[in-house]
Amino acid sequence: MAEEFEPKIVAFLCKWCSSAGSDLAGVSRMEYPPNVVPIQVMCSGSVSPLYVLSAFNKGADGVLVSGCHPGDCHYIKGNFYARRRIALVKRLLDFIGLEPQRFQMSWVSAAEGTKYTQIIKDFVQELKPLGPQTKLRRDL
Amino acid sequence: MKRTGVFICHCGINIAGTVDVKKAAKELAKHKGVVHSEEYVYMCSDPGQNLIIDAIKEKKLDNVVIACCSPTLHETTFRNAAKSAGINTFQCEIANIREQCSWVHKDMNKATDKAIKITKSAVERVRRNESLEPISVPVTRRALVIGGGIAGIQSALDLANSGFEVVLVERSPSIGGHMIQLSETFPTLDCSQCILTPKMVEVSKHPKIKLMTYSEVQEVSGYVGNFKVKILKKPTYVDPDKCTLCDECSKVCPVLVSNEFDLGLTGRRAIYIPFPQAIPATYTLDIKGCPGLLPIACGKCADVCEPEAIDYDMKPEIVEEEVGAIIVTTGYDLYDKENMAEYGYGKYADVLDGLQFERLCSASGPTMGKILRPSDHKEPKEVVFIQCVGSRDPELHCAYCSKICCMYTAKHAMLYKHHVHDGQAYIFYIDIRSGGKGYEEFVQRAVEEDGVLYLRGKVSKIFEDKGKIKVWGVDTLSGKDIEIDADMVVLATAMRPSKGAEELAKKLKIAMDKDGFLSEAHPKLRPVESVTSGMFLAGAAQAPKDIPEAVAQASGAAAKAIAILSQDRLYHAPTVAKVNLNLCTGCGMCVEVCPYEALSLKDGKVEVNEVLCEGCGTCSATCLRAAIQVKNLTPLQVHEMISISLGG
Amino acid sequence: MVNLEDLKKEAKTVLEEGKVKYIIGYEKSANGLMPVPGFIKSPEEVEKLIWTPACVYNLTKFLVDEKRRKSREKKPDERPVGLVVKGCDSRALVVLLQEKFINRDDVFIIGVSCEETGVIDEKKLIKKLKGKKAEKIEFDEKDNFIVTTQEGKVKIAASEVLAERCLECKANSPVIYDVLLGEKAKRSVDNPFQSLEKIESLPERERWKFWKEQLSKCIRCYACRSVCPMCYCDECVADTINFAVTADTTAEEKAQKIKWLEKSPVKSENFVYHLVRAIHLAGRCIDCGECERVCPLDIPIRFLNKKLEKDAKELFDYEAGFDPEQPSLVSSFKDEDPEDFIR
Ligand code: SF4
Ligand code: SF4
Ligand code: FES
Repeated sequence: MAEEFEPKIVAFLCKWCSSAGSDLAGVSRMEYPPNVVPIQVMCSGSVSPLYVLSAFNKGADGVLVSGCHPGDCHYIKGNFYARRRIALVKRLLDFIGLEPQRFQMSWVSAAEGTKYTQIIKDFVQELKPLGPQTKLRRDL
Repeated sequence: MKRTGVFICHCGINIAGTVDVKKAAKELAKHKGVVHSEEYVYMCSDPGQNLIIDAIKEKKLDNVVIACCSPTLHETTFRNAAKSAGINTFQCEIANIREQCSWVHKDMNKATDKAIKITKSAVERVRRNESLEPISVPVTRRALVIGGGIAGIQSALDLANSGFEVVLVERSPSIGGHMIQLSETFPTLDCSQCILTPKMVEVSKHPKIKLMTYSEVQEVSGYVGNFKVKILKKPTYVDPDKCTLCDECSKVCPVLVSNEFDLGLTGRRAIYIPFPQAIPATYTLDIKGCPGLLPIACGKCADVCEPEAIDYDMKPEIVEEEVGAIIVTTGYDLYDKENMAEYGYGKYADVLDGLQFERLCSASGPTMGKILRPSDHKEPKEVVFIQCVGSRDPELHCAYCSKICCMYTAKHAMLYKHHVHDGQAYIFYIDIRSGGKGYEEFVQRAVEEDGVLYLRGKVSKIFEDKGKIKVWGVDTLSGKDIEIDADMVVLATAMRPSKGAEELAKKLKIAMDKDGFLSEAHPKLRPVESVTSGMFLAGAAQAPKDIPEAVAQASGAAAKAIAILSQDRLYHAPTVAKVNLNLCTGCGMCVEVCPYEALSLKDGKVEVNEVLCEGCGTCSATCLRAAIQVKNLTPLQVHEMISISLGG
Repeated sequence: MVNLEDLKKEAKTVLEEGKVKYIIGYEKSANGLMPVPGFIKSPEEVEKLIWTPACVYNLTKFLVDEKRRKSREKKPDERPVGLVVKGCDSRALVVLLQEKFINRDDVFIIGVSCEETGVIDEKKLIKKLKGKKAEKIEFDEKDNFIVTTQEGKVKIAASEVLAERCLECKANSPVIYDVLLGEKAKRSVDNPFQSLEKIESLPERERWKFWKEQLSKCIRCYACRSVCPMCYCDECVADTINFAVTADTTAEEKAQKIKWLEKSPVKSENFVYHLVRAIHLAGRCIDCGECERVCPLDIPIRFLNKKLEKDAKELFDYEAGFDPEQPSLVSSFKDEDPEDFIR
């Protein structure tokens, strides 16, 4: 039997909430699929659209940007800028025909280990039927 | 090429149970630039740390990656170890392979694979880290406290008693705040003035406290440890050193205005002392009431002032102070009368608010402690107290609970009964919230010992009829309509942030919540800090609270301020933004997004104030030209991390 | 209708008064229909100026060169440059002002209103004339153009040959100017995103097919970037060719160079290039259509920008190029910005 497709996901997690939330998932010994490699950034506001495009270009099947809930950003308002920026990137990717499931944003607080776990589980589940992302993957 | 060392921790079986640490170490050893790779059972233990230190020294490592638990746990430990081996703290990065890997996965192969990627990603990052030293700034070891109510007084005293100079700014002529207006305090019924005045005197006598009453903060600049403050000192026209408090001036003053200390229940002269125990003990000429000083229209007060304390030429003065920390305790005001017309508040003389009732109960109040109706000075035999006036009413008024009203209303009813033994007190309430030490017992005492009648429900109508105040309402427990012919009605009006707090918050650049109370940095974990570092909050300025809470928060804020002031220098993380001037076009987009106003444009390029920058990187994601980046997490580093995370 | 003589008169006056160092406008070219940008340096030269429906170019791009030139000069002439701008071009000026790339007194704006028409799409015209060669095109009253061919004059309804973006234009008349020629009249536009919506409404598969086909054609000549007035960065993050290296560039800065994408004109890299460009133009592109006009492969690049223009309007009520004081699209936010896409 052919091995099941395992999507590769890059997750940009803000240090103060989402990465801490992901830590909590670990401390609480929750379980989620190992498809995601986290990259800790200081704030969701620091995630440049280039990071997202680059991840897809380098072969990510899915990209997640996660930050603190509105009002909770450690840097007061970084996530509000992120929200705008990511909305635009998401719509643009959608427009060119990239499957919308491939690019996600979430708010995960330091207390939401369960939410983080669920998000990753759902993400992997949604990506599996799509197969590998080849639209933006470097085809050299 | 930089020489990197990798150290993989088993964390007992916490990591090694799911991640094949041997394989990981072997894989990492093959990674470009890695000249040392090993695993060990507990890296954070002394022998573990020694492994790292020895390897750095022996193999001349430029940087190290420790693959272990979350950086929130041992980053400092390992960075210190790296430092002790002679490399910069930033030449050590943590790869979190426990919380974000071994603890959340079961499949050993896959977990190992992921752990390898996470570790390689940290290697790629650390290789591009700059060696940095903390940015240090000297600290001005003095504090500013804004607001001279109980919270401000407490903060100022705590600071001063710890040996720090304090500038205490109060906008009215005396400190004391609302607490000094109260008669007795719940749940102990001790006299408010008796417990507050000693503290006020201590403030005035304290060699470390510079008291500036009748003064307002005009401008604040700078940053934690180094604030510059401009304070406007309004003229009082009376020299406090000469004033002997003889009261002759006030006797001759022809002007009568409403007395704010008694909330309009009495009058005062244009030249006055707010209350006998006022601190500073001196008179103030209230220019708003006075018929004029330019030219002098009346001049009677100066004529009778024997010590010649009155000086009509006194001018407003701007005083500049430098401080290292600021505590904001601007307190509260009661909800405006205009908003509560439905209760006849402001229309009927015998409908009072809670503070007015306090004055009526106070031995030093307008009635010398006798509870008499303002309209005809008769003793009221039926008094209706209404709770939640303006509070907990999201549609029309304030959505929040003002917190103290349940308790003070119980106290009011009790005090009333102590004064008027044959009277009847009614209380309309929605719920009774009596959480607090001795609070519930206090409310029970009001019911059981003083026969206060609690009616659960809302008042529908209040109107004057034949010298009585008719109160109509419904008792929602029995469903019965209620009609009371009251002699007096006391409203527990909502607490609002004090007037002017908004303007001040803007000057200080501290945030306000939707109700206008000052926002704490974190609702649970940083309740006395504002979002601006070096500025703290205490008392009702932050949210409605009672005296013990305000005092506790004030001491907390003082302790936080002391934590800053007790240092010679403050250290700031050096991972701040940095500009590539070649690329910057001076568009100013980063300046707009920076939450800390750390950026400014100068000669068409952006400039970073490293002390203000917190390194969030929002600027860097905004810049279209990658002209601004945060040190040690640059786009290049992230780019390499993305690459490696996806298999290189 | 804009009277060419008025335009010349205004140009002459400012040159005579020495108010501007020179004027950039449109000039007749040797090969007929399409004009060329003209640099008018003296009052005598104003006779060369023309204004026709073929004045398609967005001349604001020349301010970028002007700024660079000026920064190299030891004692630069501080007088403004006179610039002939249409409505769309004027919005580009607003963005350049908003981004502090130019100062208001760097430029003397000679605004020309397109009134109820606009400029042509050369390709559409060629098609319309079916082989006849146009020698001249002029504005006629209201919504027609008069085209002169070898066989004489023909009247063509403007709507048939107008550039796509003119049919969807939000500012037929300059939004900022020192002198304005022509009326502020505006052709009514039902839906400024009508052509875009055709693609938007395609199913995901079809959209992908469309873009894959289009963007695979790109040969990465960078004409789109060179012509764009907003692409004024010294170094473009989207390629590794034109690194701005100056005497002050440190070794460390050089080491920080990132290759976000490869130079090779293959589909994936072309996508990244065009997506980065589109994202970087979000809230800045004013739809002057120049990128699409210059593309040798006829890639409908405009749609990428248009898409973001539409989203900015729809999601954030943001429109580029009307107010130089407003904070940029991505350096501002509202508490109520939509977040229904966030988990
Ligand atoms: S956003 Fe970039 S180009 Fe604009 S001022 Fe900031 S650093 Fe300079
Ligand atoms: S990193 Fe954050 S705090 Fe520092 S300058 Fe940039 S936006 Fe401001
Ligand atoms: S720190 Fe988490 S989003 Fe800003």
